[in-house]
Amino acid sequence: VDFDDTPDEAAYRAHVRQLLAEHEGELLRSQPGKEAPDARQQEAELRRTQRVLAEAGLVGVTWPRAHGGQGGTLVQQAIVQQELARARVPALINHIGIGMCGPTVIGHGTEDQKRRYLARLLRADDVWCQLFSEPASGSDLAALRTTAVRDGQDWVVNGQKVWTTLAQVADYGILLTRTDPSRPKHAGLTMFVVDMHAPGVTVRPLRQMSGGSGFNEVFFDDVRIPDSERLGEPGEGWRVALTTLMNERVAIGGAGSDIGLPVEILAAHARERLPRLEPERQVLARQAVGRAVVASLATRYTGYRRFTVLSQGGVPGPEASAGKLAGTAAGRLVADAGVRLLGDDAVYAQTADGDDTWARSQAGMPGIAIAGGTDQVLRNILGERVLGLPPEPRSDKSEPFSGAAR
Amino acid sequence: VNFDLDTDQRDAAAAAREFFGEQASPSAAREALEGGGPLRPGRKALADVGFLGITVAEDAGGAGRGLLDLAVVAEQGGAVLAGPSLVTAARAAVLLADVPELAAQLADGSSAFAVVDGSPDGSHPSVDAADATTFLALDGRSLVVGEGVATPGTPLDATRGLASVRLTSRRVLVEDAGELWARARQAGAVIMAAEDLGAADRAVALGVAYAKEREAFGRTIGSYQAVKHMLVDAWVGVDQLRSLVWWAAWAADSAPGELALAAAAAKAQAASAFERAAETLIQVHGGIGFTWEHDAHLYWRRAKVDRLLLGDEAEHLDTVARLAVAGALGA
Repeated sequence: VDFDDTPDEAAYRAHVRQLLAEHEGELLRSQPGKEAPDARQQEAELRRTQRVLAEAGLVGVTWPRAHGGQGGTLVQQAIVQQELARARVPALINHIGIGMCGPTVIGHGTEDQKRRYLARLLRADDVWCQLFSEPASGSDLAALRTTAVRDGQDWVVNGQKVWTTLAQVADYGILLTRTDPSRPKHAGLTMFVVDMHAPGVTVRPLRQMSGGSGFNEVFFDDVRIPDSERLGEPGEGWRVALTTLMNERVAIGGAGSDIGLPVEILAAHARERLPRLEPERQVLARQAVGRAVVASLATRYTGYRRFTVLSQGGVPGPEASAGKLAGTAAGRLVADAGVRLLGDDAVYAQTADGDDTWARSQAGMPGIAIAGGTDQVLRNILGERVLGLPPEPRSDKSEPFSGAAR
Repeated sequence: VNFDLDTDQRDAAAAAREFFGEQASPSAAREALEGGGPLRPGRKALADVGFLGITVAEDAGGAGRGLLDLAVVAEQGGAVLAGPSLVTAARAAVLLADVPELAAQLADGSSAFAVVDGSPDGSHPSVDAADATTFLALDGRSLVVGEGVATPGTPLDATRGLASVRLTSRRVLVEDAGELWARARQAGAVIMAAEDLGAADRAVALGVAYAKEREAFGRTIGSYQAVKHMLVDAWVGVDQLRSLVWWAAWAADSAPGELALAAAAAKAQAASAFERAAETLIQVHGGIGFTWEHDAHLYWRRAKVDRLLLGDEAEHLDTVARLAVAGALGA
């Protein structure tokens, strides 16, 4: 056991720190515990921040050099993430593009598509979004109903996507459609790159329960996509989508990063707030704080074990799903303890002096338990792929999608 | 970052797994409960194989290894509900660090030690006190050793050897031993958490195996999400417990400033994760899991007892919170 970097890792970390120091003045910073920068309101600064980082070689660390990446390791990628967080640089505006859309283009795109899209994506010249979920297909993604119908050299798309993060600023998206309803649900899908500025694309921000508008509804009305923008063969869309989803798991489950507010913020908050509670409430509040700290540390140290596997050249297995599941539970406990420490202010959306840190964190947690694999889907993955328990029997995999079972 | 066992530790764990697999079993735990059958492997076998001296200094006849080396062995003992506990070896090795002649008797098994919690004139129920002959206790601020009378209660889990002790003789080993005593108790909590890790891990494995085999309503019960999710939640708790046990055991040797926080976190997690695993084991088995013949209740008994020994979950959560507020997380 050794929690220090290896000499190689330490050298790379020092290199990253130096680059971040050199470009300090050109990067957007976030305030600890405050709302992340809004993609629409600070779009220009967020695009500039990513471009500066890309030119310094800190974006697309694991991408092949041929596509503008650095050809680096997952460990180097994790070190960059840690150092960006330490320097309080907000999440890259194109994090969906880098984590999911780009790898999908790399895996299934034509040489022409790779040349046109990938370098621009890394520099945030183009921002990308992922157009998968629909009102009637969330966890059951393969039940999607947006159609693409061949018409000469084009495909004509009609339907609706939802929960689309960044659609309001995106230039391109990867779009999963149904092209053959006569085939079983997984077999009739096709993936495209869609120009978000094309005629017939309408983006409408959705307001979340936490008040913000990070994601959107996207409507497609007779949107024409040239066949040259297809990703993979017709009918192969599910296989292409699995590339995206596997990269999403790596992006979320990677190295045990905190979900919600870091537990150090809770400890500082407790230091300030505990003495203001009545003595008998302090006892109860310490139980809540202790439980949150234990859950957070357990998740963090389990992340170090996963990180060690990466460090030794392994790839993240299905155990990574446990990181998101347990991290979400820990995040809920941290938010709950933080709110309880507010005493009488706990029942309001902000404190008397206008601070909404804990109320906002609390309101964000239900979304985290749904996005990128619900708690229940993650439990199925862990039960089936780690514990080896049999899946539920399904009747929807073999019949034509246009038939009864959806 | 390298947060993994090294080759020596993996080999030691494999050897311990084999040893405990031959020398102890839930059946032995049941026999101890029924008719006062002997604890297995028992003190002599544990001394002979060298497990009681893993953390005893080499010049006192021990192996001079770290707490993590003891933890990986203790985990394997926990898996088959072995007794007596390596908690006693861990605590006594810390307390006797400057008393080599007694440390040697711990390592070679020539004295049967127990560490007594609470007053030496009438202690709390203490681990492995029932058959011990040499007792270590905190008398005011002093560490004392002596003989005593052990009074066991009716055991809920016979493998823990619990008894209250009244010392009949006492000799001071260390004056002003408060800090030493606390550190020994933290080491003991880490090793108990390691034994609980092994037991909880085995409980989940037994539950998973049954869920793959038993059929109801026309299919294997493990395919039902209600059953599957219960087992997954138990498994996640165990997986997280492993991380905290390794961290705490590593801290004891390599980052002593983190031990108090890590030990309390590990013991708190052990209490809840083991209890959940044992309850899940019974529930997944249905009626058969509630019978005396089945092993499930032996894990359940161990869980119900261990969660209260060396500080219950609430005490350790309070410790974690106090340390975190005092700045133990850094920043």
